[in-house]
Amino acid sequence: MIKRFLSFEWKQFSRSSYFKKGIAIKIVMALAVLYFAGMALLFGGALYFILKKALPTIDPMTTVNSYLLYWFLFDFMLRYFMQQLPVMNIKPLMNIPVKRNTVIYYLLGKTSLSFFNILPLFIVVPFTTVLLFQGYPIIQVLVWLVGFVVITLSINFLNFLVNKNNVVFYVVLALVAVLGVLEYYAIYKISEPVGYAFNYMYAHPYLVVLPILVLVGLFKATFQFIKKGFYLDDAISKKVKEVSSNDLSWLNRFGAVAPFLKNDIKLIVRNVRPRQVMMMSFMFLFYGLVFYTQETYREMPAILAFASMFITGGFLMTFGQHVPSWDSEYYKLLMSQNIPYKTYLESKWYLMVVAVLFSFILSTPYIYFGWDIFGMIAAGAVFNIGLNSFLTLFGGALNRVPIELNVKTKAFSNTNGFNPTQLLIGLPKFLLPMLIFYVPYKLISFNAGLIALALVGVLGIALKPYIFNLIEGVYQKGKYNTIAAFSEKQ
Amino acid sequence: MIKTVNLTKKYNDVTVLNIEQIDISKGQSFGLVGNNGAGKTTYFSLLLDLIQPSSGFIENNGVLVHESEDWKPFTSSFIDESFLIGYLTAEEYFYFIGDLRHQSRADVDELLSQFEDFFNGEILKQKKYLRDLSKGNQKKAGIVAALIGNPEVIILDEPFANLDPTTQIRLKQIVKDLAQTKGVTVLISSHDLLHVTDVCERIVVLEKGEVIKDLKTSPATLKELEVHFSGMASTETMADKE
Repeated sequence: MIKRFLSFEWKQFSRSSYFKKGIAIKIVMALAVLYFAGMALLFGGALYFILKKALPTIDPMTTVNSYLLYWFLFDFMLRYFMQQLPVMNIKPLMNIPVKRNTVIYYLLGKTSLSFFNILPLFIVVPFTTVLLFQGYPIIQVLVWLVGFVVITLSINFLNFLVNKNNVVFYVVLALVAVLGVLEYYAIYKISEPVGYAFNYMYAHPYLVVLPILVLVGLFKATFQFIKKGFYLDDAISKKVKEVSSNDLSWLNRFGAVAPFLKNDIKLIVRNVRPRQVMMMSFMFLFYGLVFYTQETYREMPAILAFASMFITGGFLMTFGQHVPSWDSEYYKLLMSQNIPYKTYLESKWYLMVVAVLFSFILSTPYIYFGWDIFGMIAAGAVFNIGLNSFLTLFGGALNRVPIELNVKTKAFSNTNGFNPTQLLIGLPKFLLPMLIFYVPYKLISFNAGLIALALVGVLGIALKPYIFNLIEGVYQKGKYNTIAAFSEKQ
Repeated sequence: MIKTVNLTKKYNDVTVLNIEQIDISKGQSFGLVGNNGAGKTTYFSLLLDLIQPSSGFIENNGVLVHESEDWKPFTSSFIDESFLIGYLTAEEYFYFIGDLRHQSRADVDELLSQFEDFFNGEILKQKKYLRDLSKGNQKKAGIVAALIGNPEVIILDEPFANLDPTTQIRLKQIVKDLAQTKGVTVLISSHDLLHVTDVCERIVVLEKGEVIKDLKTSPATLKELEVHFSGMASTETMADKE
């Protein structure tokens, strides 16, 4: 039976929609995968030497152990938001004569082969290989590796349990926040005892039994959890919560655009996928922390212009790039209703503009890095509104991948929205602001660069009616293709 | 009201629809029957400009459907669940459609109040998103939404499927009412011969994309249709035996 399941799995994989793309995309995707795998391998291999160089007095193994906690927490968070649990797939197996236990074992086995469990290996395996070559004791290193894998798998099953229970998640989140703050202000460094524990385990390999016991416990718990819920109306079914409707009538001041705006806000609040994107776009706000804090980038204002673009443009880029796709589930309705395309697009535009303004307000703490930086963020915001918003909408016209609104993205399946045209349209979004800033900056002054950036944005806003006509034309032309693509089941 | 002339639809040289001429007059209740793959949904999709005709045209109240969008204000439809917005509650959905069709909240409420029986207390004030309603209830919501804004043409694909018997009977009354007293042109398709003959003044039978019968409904129509379709069943089994 397991063999047959495996063949289903292979079919599901090999017949999935992202393999039915053109050869060019396949090559690009393969290259991307190779690139990331290569980077991970390289990082894993170099980690030992990097740490050795940075902290020559401390054994790199000790350093790794003391930061391991953060890795596992990060892993857990990532899984919570991204990892898809295959519970729903049980349904077709329920009424065929297969033992429940077989199905569940299979299911759990399948999750342990998830991408999230494989990826860390790309880093850890080369790291341990290097350790072995450096003459570290074989048994200890190998047992450490086993411990790492066991803990990763434990997180895998823990996520299974937590995912169905928001309370647990918020408890974990609160715990992490508190510990993070304590750690940051050096009040109580949780990483120290945990690091010590990992070191201790490394020194005493037989202790690997402990994580293994935890893993076995979690496996059993998950097994029981699924077994108990092996009924249509239990774990397998979606929970239907009572909802309150909200008429958002304050949006009526936007006139013809209002019904769509109201819809879009409900779309974001009530569906898993857009909420995910929303979270992501929030992360973009912190982009500046990476760039502004480093002296090297301070000398390269063009790079800073690039970063500033991201701070206010997170939502615009992550939400905007899927513009017609968000409505793919009911696109036929929109196309046969009494709706001018322009109003529909305009509502999306307003949404992006509001998001840019909102992020701009949230970005005020960046004044800490100086008015130059803040001026740059402001200029970037104007540019985002005046030009990037249009580029994004324009790119959307070529994006015909349907989105299932209430389903989490699978890791790597966001390549769904990926195609070369999209990439080509996307490039100017980053390169243009760098160029527009850099030329006047080089020729005249820093401020001239900012003004140029802002001016281009203002120009875009002034030309909006004209640009919208162009974009509408493109959407209109692709209408039938888009409808056909959206009605294809994933 | 609706003129269809030399309409064909081909996919890779396979003709899935080929209609020489159908004229549907205003206020007619028009039924489309045919087995799976006969071209019913294709025809309705063409009527709504969701796909492009390979040749020929449809004229809806003088508007060329594939060239102008001016048919949209007086035409409404419910084809399948993809016409529902899953993350809205039924009320929100009705008001949204109302907004698009320039109906105030009061107008929509007024219309909805006429359908309390039809909803059977399962649609309004449920505090549930449409995606969480049962198939039948989704259909009820979709059908009523298609009635918002006094459309002159209403297109319903398989409206009886998934509905419970009581609702089917109520829906028949609603459709008859629309055509006979309000002068609305109603186009429906169905696999249920009894329902179509009950409701429609005119029934067209499609087979492999072509019109093979065009009947004005009379007491004999149901019999004729039954004979036709059981005839098809027996010719097919005979063909299988050979």
